[in-house]
Amino acid sequence: MSDVTAQKKRRAPEPEPADEVQQSLYAKREKIYPREVHGTFAALRVLAMVVLLGLYYGVPWLRWEGRQAVLFDLPARKFFIFDWVFWPQDFFYLALLLMIAALSLFFFTAVAGRLWCGYACPQTVWTEIFMWVERKIEGDRPQQMKLDKLPWNSEKVLKKGSKHVILLLFSLYTGFTFVGYFTPIDELGARMFSFDLGPWETFWVIFYGLATYGNAGWMREQVCIYMCPYARFQSAMFDKDTLVISYDEARGEPRGKRKRTADRQGLGLGDCIDCTLCVQVCPTGIDIRKGLQYQCIGCAACVDVCDDVMDKMGYDRGLVRYTTENGLKGRPAHPLRPRILVYATLLLAMTAGLIYAISQRIPLELDVIRDRTGLYRETSEGLVENVYNLKVINMDEREHVYRLSASGLPEMEFINRKGELTVAAGEVYNLPVRIRIDPIHLTRSTNEITFHIEATDAPELAREATSRFIGPVD
Amino acid sequence: MSQILKVQWIISILWPGFLVAGAATIVTFTVFDPVEISACIGGPDISRTGWYSVGFFLFWFMSALSSLLTCYFQQPCQVVQGTQDPE
Ligand code: SF4
Ligand code: SF4
Repeated sequence: MSDVTAQKKRRAPEPEPADEVQQSLYAKREKIYPREVHGTFAALRVLAMVVLLGLYYGVPWLRWEGRQAVLFDLPARKFFIFDWVFWPQDFFYLALLLMIAALSLFFFTAVAGRLWCGYACPQTVWTEIFMWVERKIEGDRPQQMKLDKLPWNSEKVLKKGSKHVILLLFSLYTGFTFVGYFTPIDELGARMFSFDLGPWETFWVIFYGLATYGNAGWMREQVCIYMCPYARFQSAMFDKDTLVISYDEARGEPRGKRKRTADRQGLGLGDCIDCTLCVQVCPTGIDIRKGLQYQCIGCAACVDVCDDVMDKMGYDRGLVRYTTENGLKGRPAHPLRPRILVYATLLLAMTAGLIYAISQRIPLELDVIRDRTGLYRETSEGLVENVYNLKVINMDEREHVYRLSASGLPEMEFINRKGELTVAAGEVYNLPVRIRIDPIHLTRSTNEITFHIEATDAPELAREATSRFIGPVD
Repeated sequence: MSQILKVQWIISILWPGFLVAGAATIVTFTVFDPVEISACIGGPDISRTGWYSVGFFLFWFMSALSSLLTCYFQQPCQVVQGTQDPE
């Protein structure tokens, strides 16, 4: 909060043109109208956007062996990912996966700075597509600014209205897709068009839709600047060899306007022609020439536009470019520095661990709970009886027949259903079991026993669970 | 408090709560099945999606409450004393 307050204090004395200031959630903010930009990195960004949005909207519609290929079926408490089915018991894998994701973020940040922010973050990607729609309807930066200054005439109402209707519909479809990752999407679609969605599904479609609309339509760079936790701590992962976008001050200064034909040496000018295009294209509204700032999301829009300017002037490209602090100062680079090696080693080890763990995963679970109604019972024949509730979960994709046995005490007698049980794919089988034993075998009142279960057709599918057998004290 | 500060304040209470509630919901409902627990203790008969949602908002409420207290205790003590002094 203190950061934000400081920000406000710094900004407060600046008089701002009333018509461009927008009362925003965090600070008085000049609305940013990023100018459209073309070039290598812009093309890369569009490519990333198309691929990522394509994946997001497309993946829920993929089918795999008669079901949705990727489905985080929350109502059924099962995650389907192509051939794999994960259960809550597999939480370990999810935790490992999240740790790997976090670590790769560290790794890529240390190597290449805010690569994630510039190309892959959903906030960037959706803002990008929203701005594309905006440009299609309202035109580029100058037209947008002109439109905003206009009084509310029919043209403005029509343009703004249609923009927001399109963005809202698109956002709702985004919300629908989001819910489609958690309940089967074809069914969801059918129900949506017959207005038959459950209350919770409706709620989440609208909630996620409105969040998308608010974040990509209104909040935009403010999310990155004020709300994003990653943006706050990424600088801790930066060092002098991290790739950042930077303005070459030594080359650019003193900046100044000049004719294309002018002799810059004669004028005593650097390469920056002070056209401010790099500021106009910046989605976070900063001036890269002031140095590395934490608002910079590393989108490289300023690199593209400045390269264009340099081409037109007949100067070398790269006045604004991807470089490192060391590179800028002409010092040698250290691509294999300890930090990178540590991250890379950890990342490799954890990924290998995850792959190994998944390959060794046994899709069978056995839980034993001692019956709570009594410690033990003595039968008329003088035997001691304990009751257990067994839960057998077949997490495999096909049916299995399992053999149940117990060990730990001699001559244990299963009363019901000692032998084999058939459990369907994905079934949770509850089996009450009674075990009787002659008290002469009981040397203590509490004895540890172990239940074993093994698939008859696949001996590697085996599990054990321990419990206690309680008898009379003497 | 100015209009902007007030909005900032509200977001700095709701937003961290939202993040924490997301994580808490995932962890809690991975370990516990709400439908099973509800059946066990004779709770209301709500669908799983319903329980997850209720759980999420409950966590959100609790963690937002904690953020609220943090914000409240963050005020310097002088300010608190100052309010007793009608100066
Ligand atoms: S785009 Fe390049 S030349 Fe133009 S102001 Fe920015 S740094 Fe200078
Ligand atoms: S300074 Fe350049 S790279 Fe950074 S956000 Fe602005 S346009 Fe993108």
